[in-house]
Amino acid sequence: MADAVERIPSEWLAEFEAAARRPLATRIRYAFIHTYKPVLDDARFRAFNTTREYREWCERNLPDWLGYGSV
Amino acid sequence: MAAFEYRQATETAAALARHGCRYLFIGKSGAILLGFPDTTQDADLFVEKSPDNGAALVAALREIGFDLTDEESRQIQSGKDFVQLKNGPFDLDLVFAPDGIERFQDAWQRHVEVEGLPVCHIEDIIRSKEATNRAKDRESLPRLRSFRDYLRLKHRL
Repeated sequence: MADAVERIPSEWLAEFEAAARRPLATRIRYAFIHTYKPVLDDARFRAFNTTREYREWCERNLPDWLGYGSV
Repeated sequence: MAAFEYRQATETAAALARHGCRYLFIGKSGAILLGFPDTTQDADLFVEKSPDNGAALVAALREIGFDLTDEESRQIQSGKDFVQLKNGPFDLDLVFAPDGIERFQDAWQRHVEVEGLPVCHIEDIIRSKEATNRAKDRESLPRLRSFRDYLRLKHRL
């Protein structure tokens, strides 16, 4: 266990500790943001029969920089 | 479209509970509820796939302000694997078959409650992101794994 903690970069550990001290409402306020995502945000509803179909749709339709493509 | 807020989290959980819907927060939104300090744009729910649970989900979503047409409601209840909603008070992804998790019941047995919100165990969140293997998941995984180690130390998870 000590090894696992030592592997956590000190900056991240400090952030985890700080987050743990915040109430849930504050954590949510800091974490959920909204910015426009091209294509993805241009429909009010999408449904896919399979998760694979959804991944393939993302690959075909979304700009690479959004990060939804598989590696 | 506004970002997901604490009030919406509690109202969503209350509505889903009233209708008896079985679900778990998953993805980065789930990790954030567990205490992971990061940002995300939408909430992700892993919903048990069954006709009754789908009907309960639709009723709850309508109650909290999602503007679902009859056709959209039918699709949610018809056994789709993935539904993306941008027709309500916040962006919401409904995930019925997440990568890396075989059965809802398995995830349910391991889940964690955070102030009444049911959340996937951090190991399931990581497992799902590992299986999905998108660029954005690859970027967040090292920090998520460190967060898992932190939780193990803190909560003996």
